[in-house]
Amino acid sequence: MKLNIEGLLVYFPYDYIYPEQYSYMLELKRTLDAKGHGVLEMPSGTGKTISLLSLIVAYQKAFPLDVTKLIYCSRTVPEIEKVVEELRKLMEFYAKETGEVNNFLALALSSRKNLCIHPEVSSLRFGKEVDGKCHSLTASYIRAQRHSNPDQPVCRFYEEFDAVGRQVPLPAGIYNLDDLKDFGRRKGWCPYYLARYSILHANIVVYSYHYLLDPKIADLVSKELAKKSVVVFDEAHNIDNVCIDSMSVNITRRTLDRCQGNVETLQHTIQKIKDTDAAKLREEYRRLVEGLKEANIARETDVYLANPVLPDEILQEAVPGSIRTAEHFLGFLRRFLEYLKSRLRVHHVVQESAPQFLKDIFEKVCIDRKPLRFCAERLQSLLRTLEIADIADFSAVTLIANFATLVSTYSLGFTIIIEPFDDRTPTIANPVLHFSCMDPSIAIKPVFQRFQSVVITSGTLSPLDIYPKILDFRPVTMASFTMTLARTCLCPLIVGRGNDQVALSSKFETREDFAVIRNYGNLLLEMSAIVPDGIVAFFTSYVYMENIVASWYEQGILENIQRNKLIFIETQDAAETSMALEKYQEACENGRGAILLSVARGKVSEGIDFVHHFGRAVIMFGVPYVYTQSRILKARLEYLRDQFQIRENDFLTFDAMRHAAQCVGRAIRGKTDYGLMIFADKRYARADKRGKLPRWIQEHISDGSLNLTVDETVQLSKHFLRQMAQPFRQEDQLGLSLLTLEQLQSEDMLKKIAQIAHQA
Amino acid sequence: MASLSEEVLLVVKKVRQRKQDGTLYLMAERIAWGPEGKDRFTVSHPYSDIRCQKISPDGKAKVQLQLVLHTGESTTFHFANESTALKDREAAKELLQQLLPKFKKKANKELEEKNRMLQEDPVLFQLYKDLVVSQVISAEEFWANRLGGLNNSEPAPYSNKQEVGISGAFLADIRPQTDGCNGLRYNLTTDIIESIFRTYPAVKQKYSENVPHSLTEKEFWTRFFQSHYFHRDRINTGTQDIFSECAKQDEKGLMSLVNKGVKNPLVDLLSLEDKTLDEGYGLKQALPSTSNTNKTVKESSNAAIIKRFNHHSAMVLAAGSRKNEVPADQASETSSTDGNSRDSDFFQPPVKKVKLQEAIEYEDLQRESKQKTVALNLKKSDRYAHGPVPLQSQKYTTSQDIINAVNCIQQEMAHYKPNLTQVMSSTAASSAIAALSPGGVLMQGGAQQAINQMVPSDIQGELKHLYVAAGELLRHFWSCFPVNTSFLEDKVIKMKSNLERFQMTKLSPFKEKLQRQYLGTNLTGHLEEMLQTAYGKFHIWQTRRMMRKT
Repeated sequence: MKLNIEGLLVYFPYDYIYPEQYSYMLELKRTLDAKGHGVLEMPSGTGKTISLLSLIVAYQKAFPLDVTKLIYCSRTVPEIEKVVEELRKLMEFYAKETGEVNNFLALALSSRKNLCIHPEVSSLRFGKEVDGKCHSLTASYIRAQRHSNPDQPVCRFYEEFDAVGRQVPLPAGIYNLDDLKDFGRRKGWCPYYLARYSILHANIVVYSYHYLLDPKIADLVSKELAKKSVVVFDEAHNIDNVCIDSMSVNITRRTLDRCQGNVETLQHTIQKIKDTDAAKLREEYRRLVEGLKEANIARETDVYLANPVLPDEILQEAVPGSIRTAEHFLGFLRRFLEYLKSRLRVHHVVQESAPQFLKDIFEKVCIDRKPLRFCAERLQSLLRTLEIADIADFSAVTLIANFATLVSTYSLGFTIIIEPFDDRTPTIANPVLHFSCMDPSIAIKPVFQRFQSVVITSGTLSPLDIYPKILDFRPVTMASFTMTLARTCLCPLIVGRGNDQVALSSKFETREDFAVIRNYGNLLLEMSAIVPDGIVAFFTSYVYMENIVASWYEQGILENIQRNKLIFIETQDAAETSMALEKYQEACENGRGAILLSVARGKVSEGIDFVHHFGRAVIMFGVPYVYTQSRILKARLEYLRDQFQIRENDFLTFDAMRHAAQCVGRAIRGKTDYGLMIFADKRYARADKRGKLPRWIQEHISDGSLNLTVDETVQLSKHFLRQMAQPFRQEDQLGLSLLTLEQLQSEDMLKKIAQIAHQA
Repeated sequence: MASLSEEVLLVVKKVRQRKQDGTLYLMAERIAWGPEGKDRFTVSHPYSDIRCQKISPDGKAKVQLQLVLHTGESTTFHFANESTALKDREAAKELLQQLLPKFKKKANKELEEKNRMLQEDPVLFQLYKDLVVSQVISAEEFWANRLGGLNNSEPAPYSNKQEVGISGAFLADIRPQTDGCNGLRYNLTTDIIESIFRTYPAVKQKYSENVPHSLTEKEFWTRFFQSHYFHRDRINTGTQDIFSECAKQDEKGLMSLVNKGVKNPLVDLLSLEDKTLDEGYGLKQALPSTSNTNKTVKESSNAAIIKRFNHHSAMVLAAGSRKNEVPADQASETSSTDGNSRDSDFFQPPVKKVKLQEAIEYEDLQRESKQKTVALNLKKSDRYAHGPVPLQSQKYTTSQDIINAVNCIQQEMAHYKPNLTQVMSSTAASSAIAALSPGGVLMQGGAQQAINQMVPSDIQGELKHLYVAAGELLRHFWSCFPVNTSFLEDKVIKMKSNLERFQMTKLSPFKEKLQRQYLGTNLTGHLEEMLQTAYGKFHIWQTRRMMRKT
């Protein structure tokens, strides 16, 4: 249908529309109009992606000069592919309605592992191996060597792409990962480099968070993307953790040992080059004197996305003289390495800030702040000069250099923690230096600064106001949308007591209590008897799940559950879990029914949807608080309190509840779907916890279902399931939660729709 | 003796029946008794007729064995040989015990089958009522030719039955009971053993290796339950345990399952992440590789339980669906271009595409959800388009012919020019139209349309039954031709009388009833015609036979 969103003609590739989709588009349009940032929470399964795409594509077509590009970031590879497929659907609809040939170029970008078509390289299993092998075939000096030595193996796909691929732009169309590969095979071009090259002129780019948020990758891939782009972070409820992860570094003794090896290799190589080709080193020296002027010019003219690892100030200066020659730099690295080694020889936990660390290093080994800041750049330059083939081998020394640059650049927002041993195994020495980022805004700041509109959206972003705070930006729109329902297809229940009135909770004091474990077991057993097909149960942590499973086994609860359903359990091994997941789905599919025991914050809870019969009930055993004893977390909480005035408890609860919401939200993926959401912990009933659930879940929790016993839960569930099992047709929804164009245009409905968006 | 071919399994002398001395014979298919000195049996029961056997209590003076038949009658044998009476009776009893179940199943199966057929097919049931219950033909005759067909096609309806899967909790169902003196008793049924074998092929292999030459069955299961294999901490299986190998095999099986990977890319956790952080970055530390060694015993046994549950569930699931696995594989192979190629790309996209499409589908947003159709898998599309190819294929027009014909007609119609000199006068035309309209002179036959309104529905129903019954009898009748055996001769004569009886007892009363209700139309005419044809045929056959005889 064709919609009129405040004067913008939007093609929507379906015959009907959900009211909340319309409302979402309104808010999105306002965000784009204001050229600002937005935070939008929309229930899962209400067609968020297609609404986003429809509106932004329409906007791009209407105002091609205002919005030149859409950068859509999602989290997992299947998500990325889904987005592209939806986009394809939209574009087909455009072509059908307007009769014009589509002139949009949209493509997905992923790592080499998913795009490589070189027969040898693509057969490698791990991403890092693929990257390394690819680099050893395509690096510039390798290709240069080929001129003198024709036996030098190179990648023919890259050669072909380099020879002709850049002249002709990728023809307009929608390219998913497989389409890119097909295209690459047909032309004999490397799909990965083709995609990387093509994102510069593509209208829509779909890739993963890391390409924008991880400075190491963003610098390579996304540096030159146009400023007038709209950036969308989908499934963004965890975005702060992604930011933090990309800026944090851990250094163990093993890292240092490998680094030592790297430095030796570099030494050898330098020696060799010196004997044969001293001119090369002199040339490098000259370049370094010139400094990083080039990069500086580029940034001034605003062609590049800022690299947080390479802050503005250092671009003004030349590389300091003390590390300009290769030998000096190596000596410098050695000293730094020795210093780190001495720091790891501690017997007690040390925590210090970056300035303290710098002061200490100056006192002990006379390393100044300035050369440290240039460490990463200097190393890159050296590696290029020395023509190192396999970069993957030098990951250790790169890590150390990055650490040096980061620690000397940021005085705030980072902390250094040195732990001599793991807390769980105090007898085994395993010293680790954690250099952890506590401020997610550092990594995302360049994105907010550079791009005119950044939209953060997810099914679970409550409470909305916390994201602008921790990411340090000022959004123009913040809205949470409810789910209009013709029938209440979700049933959140809070189970607070067992049948014997024992309070159910996963809190630390009662964690080992047999009464609680038994009651949890009873809950699962009873539910397994009444819920059809699949049940997914989440535990707060892996260790907790292991213990509970063991004691359920001893108490014979699992045997009884097996009478009703098969049991599959998530393990720490991803391959094993994948197998269990597939078997789980198979068991749901063939009608036998199954239970999946899984872990909140685990891979399953983040990336797998349990649509329809794959998840008729989700049981959340306990509140998934993060492990609070970790020093890194403590430091972060402190930082949040000092910098953003967020109380520790507020943040912990927020974090726990967003994961709980993620877990239970996995079961509902649409209005025709239905599922029970069982929160098995009495603490969920408290207002501070409940209030942090997304609105679309919160509004269905009735006061009567706040502190149920297991029996009451079973009764309510039975009732709910029976109701839901009745046939549900399109006509039932029409006019309420599903609208035709005419219905959408009526006054009443527009008034109702205005209430769906809940401005925060 | 009745027939020499019968195998005699047991002969017991000095057995009394109705106060007469005689000899009891147990043969392959029946039990028989003949009085002393006579060469024929006065009592003879096929085993399939026997419902059960009863014996007199041990303390009683008379040593007797009673056979109860399905009909309710019973026959009692008295073992009168004083010295060996008890032994004789035991021997007879043992043998019967072995024989009866075999026949019982057969008999029951047949009965069940007949019952099922009657229940499932109302027409057949009506026919049965019409012909057998009213004693037009005997039940045996009725079934003779039906069950014959049935026995051949027997596997077909049976194989449709669903394979029974395995309960997920079958191991839990083996509840050990204490026997009072520091021991445990496990009750194993054949079902449970079957389940164990199907779920754990390794155990089955061990069983066939060891039982019965090195272990008795009982010993085997005792060891099974004692072994750590059955218990949860499998990690501790000693080397002397015969099941330690099973555990290893299970491990291997699990590994191969895991290594096979998953077909559905949406659940493949390995390829979920696009770009993992490099080693050393990030907050969450990768677990150090040393962690496995310093795990506590408890932790690793917990992990073993989890592993075991996953394996168990997977095996149970696989045992349930093992049968259909093969065709499924084939199907997927035909859809993929190259199943065994090294590069998984070649056959991944179809599954992936379908799954992705499923994932982005919003069925309620579409106007009408298209009917989900099952893809037709045609080996030869030709056959589908034309049906079975007939022997004289020339007679059939191919689709090309039809298209040509249509084209021809179209062309003709396009070039059609009315020949105005030879048209009918308008009055003639209108009278012709009137004659051809309903009610017109030429449309008298149109009155027949009303026959289903004229005749009340109960009569219609009755007529239908009569047709079915007559059809059945006639089928029997005509199936006797050509009459080339004496058996068929008998049958054809019998069928003729059956037909006559049918006409007398069923058709004539119906005809009278119709007349009573003044239904003018001759509804039974066709039926009578059919019967007359049959009689005619019979007469011809009979006269010929007479002529040949004379």
